[in-house]
Order: sequence, then C-alpha cells, then structure tokens
Amino acid sequence: MVNPGIDEQPHDEAEALLPWYATGQLDAHDRAIVEDHLQSCLQCKQQLFLERRLVDEFGTLVPQVENGWARLRGSIVVPAQSRRAPLLQPLADLWRAATRPPVMGLVAAQAVFLLIAGSAFLSLERPQAPQYHALSSGAAPAQANMIVMFEGNTTEQQMRGALNLSGASLVGGPTAAGAYLLNVQPNERPHAIATLQSDRHVTLAQPIDGSSG
Amino acid sequence: MNLQGAIKALRAETARPAELGERELLARIQRRDIHAFERLYRIYQPRLARFLTHMLQRPQLVEEVLNDTMMVVWQGAANFRGDSKLSTWIFAIAYRKALKARRCWPDPIEDEALNSRPSAAPGADQQVQHQKLRDALVGAMARLSADHRAVVDLTYFHELGYREIAEIVGCPVDTVKTRMFHARRRLRQALPGDLADWV
Repeated sequence: MVNPGIDEQPHDEAEALLPWYATGQLDAHDRAIVEDHLQSCLQCKQQLFLERRLVDEFGTLVPQVENGWARLRGSIVVPAQSRRAPLLQPLADLWRAATRPPVMGLVAAQAVFLLIAGSAFLSLERPQAPQYHALSSGAAPAQANMIVMFEGNTTEQQMRGALNLSGASLVGGPTAAGAYLLNVQPNERPHAIATLQSDRHVTLAQPIDGSSG
Repeated sequence: MNLQGAIKALRAETARPAELGERELLARIQRRDIHAFERLYRIYQPRLARFLTHMLQRPQLVEEVLNDTMMVVWQGAANFRGDSKLSTWIFAIAYRKALKARRCWPDPIEDEALNSRPSAAPGADQQVQHQKLRDALVGAMARLSADHRAVVDLTYFHELGYREIAEIVGCPVDTVKTRMFHARRRLRQALPGDLADWV
C-alpha cells in the first residue's frame, strides 16, 4: 500500500497518467481521474512536481545534429516535371515546359509546318479550315489553346477522368516532353484550367497562347 | 487559467494551422515538389534529430537514420492517406528506422565516469548543481532501453499523448503507460539526491 487509506487501483491509474497530465495531453475523462486523486494523495502531488521538472529539464537537452539536407538532396532524383516553388509557379512551369529542347523543337516544327500548311491551304483555295481535327491526321494542333502534363505514373483512366471533368478536348500529344495539347472554348478555358490544376495527377495545366486563361 | 494552462491552450491553437500547413506541403510533395519537401525536412529535422539521438545513443548515426526516414517520406508520400496525423506517420517511420539501425549498432558501452566527472567549468553552486542533474538525466536515459527512451522522449519533450505514442511505436496504449511507468522509476532512482532536491 503506497498511500494508507487510499485504494491502490485509483492511485496506480492516476500515477500512470501523471506524465501526460503534466504536459496537458490528457482528455477530460483522464484529467478528471488525476485531479480527483490529487486532492487526496500527497505522493502523487510530489510526483507531479517532479514530472513538471522533468518536462523542463528535457526541454534543455537539445542535441547538436548537423542538418543533413544537402546530403539528402544529393541523393534525390527529382522528376523533370516536378513543380517549382509557389512563387510565380505557373509562369515558371510554363517557361520550363516551353524551353525544354523537345518542346522547343516541337514548337519550331509546328511553326514550320503551319507555314507550309498555310501555303498549301491558300494554293488549294479551300474555303476554310476544317472544324474537326482528327488526332490521326498528323497535322499540327492548330486549335490547341491549352497544354497539360500528367505525373509519370498516371493511368489512362485517370487522364481520361481529368479531361472529362475539365471539358477540354484532346487535340494532340503526347509530345516528346509528355505534354498533351487541348482545346476548349475560350470562355470555358479558365474553368478547365482550374479543374485540371486541382487534379492531383496533373503537374501542369496552362494556356498556350500567352493569355491569362 | 494559470500560465501553464494558457501556454497549452496557445499551443493547441497554433498546432492546428501548423498541421494544415504540413498537409499542404505533403500534397505538394505528392506532386514531387522538391521545394516543399525541403521545407518539411527543415520543420522535422530538429524534432527527429532529438528523438533519434535518444533512441540511437550514437550521434554519428542520427543524420543517416534521419535522412533514411525523410527519404521514405519523399518516396512514400502518395501512400499517406491521412488516417493519422502527419507527425505520427513520420515519427513512426523514424522509430522503425531507428530500431533497424540499432540491430546493426547496439548501444555503446556506458560511460561509467559520466556521473562522477568533475565539471569542466565550475561556476556558481546552482549552475554546478543544475549541470549535475542534467548529467544524471542524460546518464539515466542512456541506461534505459531504446523502447523506454522513445516513450520518455515522445512524452516529455515532444509532449505527445499516450494514444499517439502507441500509434508511433506500434503497441497498445497500456504498454506505453507501463513503459513510461518503469522508465520514470528508473529515472528517479538514477537522479542524485532525494525528491526534495528536484522539486
């Protein structure tokens, strides 16, 4: 018997909870058990002082450990399409995507192709460009007004779900950089971009004609 | 409300936004944002370093195990479903990594002279006494088992509740209470002087 006149079971139960009572980590039920017991147990009152002293003392034992971020960073290979810091992130993403050699090549190829295709259109005196653009046509995605990129492990079903939600149509891709070219009505584009950007599998969703969306 | 109560209330209020901020960081890490990962690393490095220092008792291993832990966070971020607090998940990884490291590197031989070593820079009596108590505490911690050290550190320094500690170390809550009970008894026995010197 530790405390004459007091049942051992409540004493043991309250004593076991004292460390967390001292740090304020007990719920109301446990706290009531301890506080009821403290009213009549001198030993636990003294023990509580010690617990609080230990909390204070432990707080002063701060080990000196070198920050090893540089070493860890050196062992991480970041996927090429990973996002940058939030500051100016959309612009940074777009710039990075646009300045990749494969994308730059694609853009240049598209420009050349458009020039040739435009000349061909004029020479054929066709009344207007077709409204429908088949993926298999191999022609440049002249109607694309958005670009989207997905994480490398995104499944076809996940891509399809994201595109369906956005309301955008696929008109090209994947490019050598893994980007897809999309078309959406101009007035619906902000919604489409916001929808895609909120998808966890999407690493980039931006307009590609320089407007804000 | 006393001062201690006010501090606890303030901590509780600030903990919620911090947890939300960490969840946002994790969402970005799931998108492989290395900058978000660096921020999370810098938030957890001091806490994990402290926890692992007590667990491992080998300072030279702490950084290695800490980085192993954070590498798992980076690689497994997509697996975190939010069933527990982010800190619980990360500390649980650290705990398992530390146990694994300890299998390769058991505790060093205890420094028997620690408690009797004279202070290198004696000052006022109170400072000397305080240093003596701290040395005793460090020595007593070193003599505890790794499991006990983990529970003591998570309780006294990280101020986690016994349920969260049970999640981290993967055992029933009664086991946490029992480990803490025995650890406290060992600490008390190891401290110089009697209870009055401490309280």
